[in-house]
Amino acid sequence: MAFELEAEGEISSGELMKEIRSAQFSLFGDAGASKNRLKLISFNGQCGLLRCSYAHIQDTRAILATIHSINGIRVSLHSKGVSGTIKTATEKYLPQLGKICAESHRRRIELDDVSGCVIRTHGLKVDLCPDNRDKTEGSDTLYLGLTSFDLSGGHEDADGTTDGL
Amino acid sequence: MSFYECVKAYPEGSSSASRLALTAKRLGYEGLIICNVEPSKVFRLKAADRIKGIKVILGAEVTAANSRVLKGSISALRARYPFLMVCGGTEELVRSACEDPNVDMLLCPCYYDARRSMSIATARAAMKNQVAIGFDLSPLVLLRGSSRARWLEAAGRNLQMARKFELSTIITTRARSHLDLKAPRDLLALAEVAGFEPEEAQAALKRPGRLIELNRRKWIGPGVELL
Repeated sequence: MAFELEAEGEISSGELMKEIRSAQFSLFGDAGASKNRLKLISFNGQCGLLRCSYAHIQDTRAILATIHSINGIRVSLHSKGVSGTIKTATEKYLPQLGKICAESHRRRIELDDVSGCVIRTHGLKVDLCPDNRDKTEGSDTLYLGLTSFDLSGGHEDADGTTDGL
Repeated sequence: MSFYECVKAYPEGSSSASRLALTAKRLGYEGLIICNVEPSKVFRLKAADRIKGIKVILGAEVTAANSRVLKGSISALRARYPFLMVCGGTEELVRSACEDPNVDMLLCPCYYDARRSMSIATARAAMKNQVAIGFDLSPLVLLRGSSRARWLEAAGRNLQMARKFELSTIITTRARSHLDLKAPRDLLALAEVAGFEPEEAQAALKRPGRLIELNRRKWIGPGVELL
C-alpha cells in the first residue's frame, strides 16, 4: 500500500513504524496483528510503501486513519493506492520528484482576524504560526493552515503581490 | 464519487476554509460543508470559491442551552443555510432536535456520554421527521484503549437503532484542521471498524450532498415544490 504523510515537522521512518504498530495493536490486538503483518518497505519523509496482507486492506486503511500524532507532532496519513508488487506501486503511486522541500521563510502577516509568522509555504499552501495560541486550541495543531488566497489583499501596506505574500 | 464531509473552519478550527477545500479536493471529495457555530464569522470564505473543482457549502451547527432556544435558532438559521447540524448534548436537546423536521443531521449522542445511547422514542421521532443520524468517527482516531472500546459499543448500539428504524446515517470526522481530514476510502474503512456495512457507509458519506440538493429546492409545503 502506498501512503502519503502530511506533518507539521520531520518524521523518521522508525518513529512512523512504531506508531503504526502501536495503532495496529491498539485497534486489532495481538491476534489481529498476527494475521496482518505490516512492514515499512520504504519511506522518504513524505510518501512510503507499506507491506500488508491482501485480505486485510480495509483494516490497514483504518490503522493508517487512526494515527493522529507522532511524538507530539500532528500528522495525517492517507492511503494512496494498493498494488501487488513494489514495482507497480512505485510507478503508479509514488512521485518521482525525490523529497519535496517546502520553502521556509519568516515573514509576518497582519490581518484583521489573524496575525503571525509564516512558517513555510508550499505551492498555494501556507502554514502560519499565530501570535495568539488560543487560535489553534481544540485541534492540537501548532500552526494555522491557510492558502495564499486567504492572504491576498488583506492589508493596505501589503507588498501588492497577487498571492498576498 | 460524490462524497461530502462536514468540517469546522477557522476561527473555530485551525485551518481556513480554502485550505480545507484544497486538501479535500486532493483527497477526492466532491464537496465540503462548513458547519461552524457562527457561520457568519468564517474567515475568508470567498477565498475558498477560488479553489476550483470542489463545492464549498456554508452550513451551520446549532447549539443551545435548552430546547426552546434550540427551536428558535433552528427556525432562524433554516432560511439562510442549506445544511443544519445539531449536536445533541443532553437528552432534552436530542429529543427536540429529532422532533424538528428542519434539522438535517443530529450528531450521534454517544460522543458525549458513552453509556447513554439513543432511545426508541428518539429514533421513532427521527424517522417521522426524516432527521439523519450523524456518526462522528473522531473518537475512533483520538481515543485509545478502554474509552475507545466503550465508544465503539455505544456507536454500535446507535447503529443498531438506526437500522431498526431505517434512519438515514451520515459519517463524518468533524475535521477542525486540514490534518484531520481523511480520504473517503480511509473514512469508509474506519466506518467498517465501527460496524457499518460497506454499502451503508458509502451511502452515509454521500448523503449530505443529497440533503443539500433537496434543501436548495423551493419547498412550499411537505411534498409541494415551487418550480
